[in-house]
Amino acid sequence: MICILLGLVILGFGASGVSLVNLMLIHGSKYAKLAANQQLSTTTLEAKRGTIYDCDGNVLATSATVWTVYIAPQDIENEEEARLIADGLAEILDLDAQAVFEKTQKNTSYEKVKKRVEEETAAKVRAFISENKLGSIVGLDEANKRYYPNGSLASTVLGFVGDDNQGLGGIEYQYDTLLNGVPGKVVSSKNARGSDMPFNYETMVEAMQGSALTLTLNSYVQYCTEKHLEDAIELNAATNRGCAIVMNVNTGAILAMATKPDFDPNEPFTVTDPYTLSLLEQFKDQQNESTGDSSESDDADDAQTPYEKAYQQAMNEQWRNKAISDVYDPGSVFKTVTGSSAIEEGVVTEQSSFYCPGYIVIAGTRYKCHKAGGHGQQNLVNIFENSCNPAFIEIGQRLGVQKFYQYFKAYGLTEKTGVDLPGEAASIYYTADRMGPVELASESFGQTFQITPMQMITAVCAVCNGGYLVRPHLLKQVTDAAGNITQTEETSIVRQVISQETSKQMCTYLRSVVENGSGKNAYVAGYRMAGKTGTSQKISSVSEGERMKYIASFCGFAPADSPEYAVIVMIDEPHGANIYGSAVAAPVASAIMKDVLPYLGVEAVYTDEEFANINTTVPAVEGKSVSEAEAAVTEAGLSCRVIGDGENVVAQNPMGGSTSPTNGTIVLYTTEDYEPEKVTVPDLTNLGVSGVVSTAAAAGINVDISGVVSGSSGAVSYTQDVPAETQVDRGTVVKVSFRYSDSVE
Amino acid sequence: MVSEQTKNIESIANQATEKPGRGKMDMVFFAMVMLLLTVGLVMLFSASYAFAYYNYGDSYKFILRQAEFAVVGVVAMVLISFVDYHWLAKFHIPWLLYIASVGMLGLVLAMPPMQEGFNYKRWIYFGGFSFQPSEVAKFAVILLFAYLISKNYKKMKSFLYGIIFFMGLLAVVCGLLVLEPHLSATILVFAIGVILMVVGGIKLSHLGLVSLAGVGVLATVVITGVVNYAGDRIKYWLDPWADATGDGYQTIQSLYAIGSGGLWGRGLGNSRQKYLWVPEPHNDFIFSIVCEELGLIGALCIVIGFALLVWRGVSIAMRAPDRFGSLLTMGIIFQIGLQAALNILVVTNTIPNTGISLPFFSYGGTSLLMLLCQMGVILSVSRSSTVRKR
Repeated sequence: MICILLGLVILGFGASGVSLVNLMLIHGSKYAKLAANQQLSTTTLEAKRGTIYDCDGNVLATSATVWTVYIAPQDIENEEEARLIADGLAEILDLDAQAVFEKTQKNTSYEKVKKRVEEETAAKVRAFISENKLGSIVGLDEANKRYYPNGSLASTVLGFVGDDNQGLGGIEYQYDTLLNGVPGKVVSSKNARGSDMPFNYETMVEAMQGSALTLTLNSYVQYCTEKHLEDAIELNAATNRGCAIVMNVNTGAILAMATKPDFDPNEPFTVTDPYTLSLLEQFKDQQNESTGDSSESDDADDAQTPYEKAYQQAMNEQWRNKAISDVYDPGSVFKTVTGSSAIEEGVVTEQSSFYCPGYIVIAGTRYKCHKAGGHGQQNLVNIFENSCNPAFIEIGQRLGVQKFYQYFKAYGLTEKTGVDLPGEAASIYYTADRMGPVELASESFGQTFQITPMQMITAVCAVCNGGYLVRPHLLKQVTDAAGNITQTEETSIVRQVISQETSKQMCTYLRSVVENGSGKNAYVAGYRMAGKTGTSQKISSVSEGERMKYIASFCGFAPADSPEYAVIVMIDEPHGANIYGSAVAAPVASAIMKDVLPYLGVEAVYTDEEFANINTTVPAVEGKSVSEAEAAVTEAGLSCRVIGDGENVVAQNPMGGSTSPTNGTIVLYTTEDYEPEKVTVPDLTNLGVSGVVSTAAAAGINVDISGVVSGSSGAVSYTQDVPAETQVDRGTVVKVSFRYSDSVE
Repeated sequence: MVSEQTKNIESIANQATEKPGRGKMDMVFFAMVMLLLTVGLVMLFSASYAFAYYNYGDSYKFILRQAEFAVVGVVAMVLISFVDYHWLAKFHIPWLLYIASVGMLGLVLAMPPMQEGFNYKRWIYFGGFSFQPSEVAKFAVILLFAYLISKNYKKMKSFLYGIIFFMGLLAVVCGLLVLEPHLSATILVFAIGVILMVVGGIKLSHLGLVSLAGVGVLATVVITGVVNYAGDRIKYWLDPWADATGDGYQTIQSLYAIGSGGLWGRGLGNSRQKYLWVPEPHNDFIFSIVCEELGLIGALCIVIGFALLVWRGVSIAMRAPDRFGSLLTMGIIFQIGLQAALNILVVTNTIPNTGISLPFFSYGGTSLLMLLCQMGVILSVSRSSTVRKR
């Protein structure tokens, strides 16, 4: 009997043991995991995204603290409390109360209510929490928001970030990992009431803050580039955007890269360009008209409406960095490549002569010269100046397919440049085995193949810098959160394409293009600009019966005797009276370089003639005696007009320190109660240089002339910065820009 | 007949008082008790301090009170071991204790529940003092049965006396316990009663009838007034996740704790589930915290500890000088063993949750005091047996 009872006891304890083994060993991990789910709460410590600086340390993109509001639905006691939370948070955060209420009904310990809440709103949430004693249910997590203090400046280069601070374009995407850092986390054990257990169960992994990037981009250069590009797009009614790049020819460092119109990376999902918006509106109206009532039912399904699709497309378009993502026929700018290859190969020399009867026939195909009747007899410099197609076709034929293609490849036109940006497009071209004499002919003057503006300027850099193809880049250095420089971008030379001698020769020819040829509009006094214009026909994108569309471009560099900076301007589909690269793009390059080269410390060397035309700094003469003032003004190469009979100068126009053209007139006021003399600004456009100077003098204003090559004629004024009929003080300086319209290429 | 019985009992009692010297107590059993008590106290402290801290602001609230009772209990145990257990048979103590228990079990039903919202009445309380009469009732049944069987063990073969009479005594107590309701105490008392009857020499053929009756009682329990109470427990035993935040919560949290223990456990003091996850981790579910902290190895050691205690208790019972001592020891030790096994089976959700505490571990002053006093009785029996052997 005792044995039976003992057996029962053994059975009882045995069963206990079996149960324990079953629970703890066989199914233990399952329960342990479930237990950990309820006990452990992980809080992510967001890593601060690195700042992006320009080359001078100006902030281009930075992150500021914002807050993520969350709730712990598990800890909500009852529906009443859930309603209180839902209504309160919805009001403060401007959300739908029902949507928030649905989140309170989930059986989770962490539910995000709203991200990227600014400090001001966060303070209201904190007040709401303490007022209603919701400390264990509603909380705020620190997060980061990206700010671009300069708005749209360099937006297509910088890109932008998404909701989770992930880079979605440009530099932000390219260097996302570096910028992002590694988020940290705090794993802590919570008791059933949601507060931390008081002991050492907290595991913290510190966030690794993102690294800061310093770019080669220069805010001032970028600003000037964007401004002049934008003006030109408006002036020439360009409908397919334009782009420009400023680059160091020796290092490949990009100082500016602009696409216009672009967007504001602070609000990347808003289309800002007025022209695009008007197209979208039109589209919307058309949609409404054509679909009518049936659109109601279509809206019900989740697919995008046609308008939304169009808007999405417009956004994609505005984010697109045209300078690297769009390919185009480079047109005559490419003659720099054809010409330099031919010189390097010795198929042409300084002494070569070319005869242009106005056309050339290659394998039965007749190519016309843009100059009816032809350029006649030309030497090597002349064919660059004239941008003569038949001559370059002839050069191309002399090179032959193999050599032509060999240089085409050597200039990097068959591969991506490797610029540190996402979305670089691949070029489209004929390989040597598929290139016949006809293809060779058209390629010789830059048509029937397509490359990116980035590739073109990189090739031109190689032409002028001694023959070295460099890899263009935007990154200058990387600095970690502790301030250590962890990476420095070095100049990377891909290969030498042409010799120093050929390069030197090309520089003189291309300088002559600007000073004597089709590139006169790119002239910048004192800075020895060189370059080549281009006007390409968009043959492939124009359908039958449609008017031909063009791309106007210019690529140049300065100073020609020792090249430092290159610039390319490409304007897609201009619709002005003159659509040629020489008229549309070259003045932009001139304007950019005029602003930028002095700033970058490139020394100006003026000819006497140029010196007479350049601006001078107006001396400050206020407070001086009239005679002293007159002497100072004359010494500065200016004349003066004294108003009033006082002994001392009390005011002057233009002000001291401002710039005025030499031979300008400074107005000096000598009495305290002077009334500035008002004059009317005359219309100064469509005049020659002498006409502008005499008209301005007659009206009592000073003019600042730009865009005129000294010693040349034919420049016609086309803009003035103060509109005609404006009342201004006597002596005010009005800027007048000139361009040459006689050149057609 | 009656006088003969009285004489018999008196002669037993006299026998005890006549013997001036008492033998040594069973040191193995004593050591086992002290070991389980010590481990129990340590684990009670570990399991209770977070709960005590969060709810009462005093981490030591439970352990200090339990320690006081433990000290008093150990002193009482040792003192009782010196007292001849035959005194328990004198002065109608078995009957008086039984009647007092029944009285208190009746009284408990008349008292309002311990806390508002409790749907059961298990406590008698006055002033700052409270205790469970079921604890007393368990011992009362053991004592009375041991007394009656040892006195009339020849009549145990009679169905009328051996079955009906004893089952009647059991039914009164069990009935009152069911009304509380206190399922685990009911089962324990019933099981102990039946065990003593079996050991006491009832006919095995009658055992079948007893079993039938047991099934009958159980069926009654389920079908009558407490149907929902017991029914729900079975439902949540089969699927605790059916109401994971309500009735299944305690079981689920217990499983989480046990599962988290693994082979070696998180280490003493390192349970996470005791942080308010397991409700009242110092009471019935203390063993789940033990499992989490000490792991499978520690848990099995404790199970083996209880098994050894039972084995040693049975061995004392076998060596007892008389049937009374033997039955008394047997009743007490099987009660402890049964309670420990049932508790572990509940905590591991092997059987439905009956609300049963773990001896030496679970918090409860009177319960621990009663337990240690009963250990004293067994030690007292062990002293007599050694005397006899000498």
